Amino acid sequence: MTDPSPSAVNRFRHEALFYSGSAEFVNGTVPFVREGVASGEPVLVVESPEKIKTLRAALERDADQVFFADMSEVGANPARIIPAWCDFVNRHWVPGKSLRGIGEPIWSSRGADELVECQRHESLLNVAFGRGRPWSLLCPYDTATLRPEVIDEARRSHEFIVEGGSARRSENFRGIDASAAAFSAPLASAPPPLDEVTFEKGDLRRVRELVRKRAVAAGLDESRAYTLAVATNEVATNSILHGGGSGTLRIWQDVDRVICEVRDRGVFDLPLVDREAPGPDPSSPRGLWLANQLCDLVQIRTFHEATVVRLHMRLDPRANLSLVTDVESTEATMILPP
Amino acid sequence: MYSDAHLVVMRTARPGGIMIAGEIDISNTAAVAASLRDEFDGGTDPHLDLSRVSFVDVSGIRALVGLALQMAPNQRLLVHGLAAELETVLKVTGWADLPGLELCSCAGEA
Repeated sequence: MTDPSPSAVNRFRHEALFYSGSAEFVNGTVPFVREGVASGEPVLVVESPEKIKTLRAALERDADQVFFADMSEVGANPARIIPAWCDFVNRHWVPGKSLRGIGEPIWSSRGADELVECQRHESLLNVAFGRGRPWSLLCPYDTATLRPEVIDEARRSHEFIVEGGSARRSENFRGIDASAAAFSAPLASAPPPLDEVTFEKGDLRRVRELVRKRAVAAGLDESRAYTLAVATNEVATNSILHGGGSGTLRIWQDVDRVICEVRDRGVFDLPLVDREAPGPDPSSPRGLWLANQLCDLVQIRTFHEATVVRLHMRLDPRANLSLVTDVESTEATMILPP
Repeated sequence: MYSDAHLVVMRTARPGGIMIAGEIDISNTAAVAASLRDEFDGGTDPHLDLSRVSFVDVSGIRALVGLALQMAPNQRLLVHGLAAELETVLKVTGWADLPGLELCSCAGEA
């Protein structure tokens, strides 16, 4: 339990790298990548296009052995990052070999709601991989631009931290079980909604029409308004089937987005259900997975005797370029020469 | 074959198959699935015209997938006219590549 070296990975190693400035970023990441390349481990780097450029230059020919993906696409909705890592691990894992990843999901211009969901994502990585295959994920945090409380949370969501060039266990790591606990972080206060309706079985058509109408009036194009109605319908369906038979829908508009909130009396106790890619088995749940693939942000909370789901759709459609994320576009951005 | 306030399921003659018009959600999925099951009982590839379906939820897609899974080894369910947004739903829910299901891009002319 004392080995801080990432080269001896026999289980999932989730590590935060605290850096300030480009030189520290390069010094903290390049040896990690090079070690992986030297041992023939598959390496995937999910970073901003600028950092990918920096890393490619610093890695020189080793860059040819590394997969790169754009975090602004993969992580536009942070709930799509775990499926991308799952895909990477499942495709490239071979018995007896580890894998490596670098992923920087949090940057200073992330909106407040996105930041909280990214922090939830960091915790859920422990749940998704903590008891699975051995691989090593390094998550850079820019201490020059991120607030101290963001760094503090990274100490709780990562089992290891690299600070000032040395790796050690994080004393504040919350552990796998606490990472899986129901999430009840406060939601942003909402303005008076444009609409607030209760619904039960038989009302879904009315729910869809209301969402569509409001979304179009707020400035979403027809296709994205329809898509938001599809996602809201699934969440409301969950309320009817699993959340006490009814729910409350509220719709409002923020500066750059439309938000639909569904509130019911259900208990949400499957922390990864919205980010586990459903298999072909028809009975496996799909509603919240679908919502994450269709919407720009999905916030799920369990409060006292209530489950709340907020679906965000940005007015600017360019923010949703990675709509059909998964396999196709991830592959397109992951280029590994022969 | 089946109808409610928001949905009609009917037989079509050329080619032989079924056309659905309206919206499918948990209020009528079970009924739609039952009427389809009764109709497609082996033989040639059945045609299913969804060009007048303005909405299908996951439960409805699940019913179609269930139907596709029941096709004989050499039989496919030919789905016509699925709206682009609903095709996206089919893809992201992991159901686009079933051997028993084929999406036809013939503008819903079934």
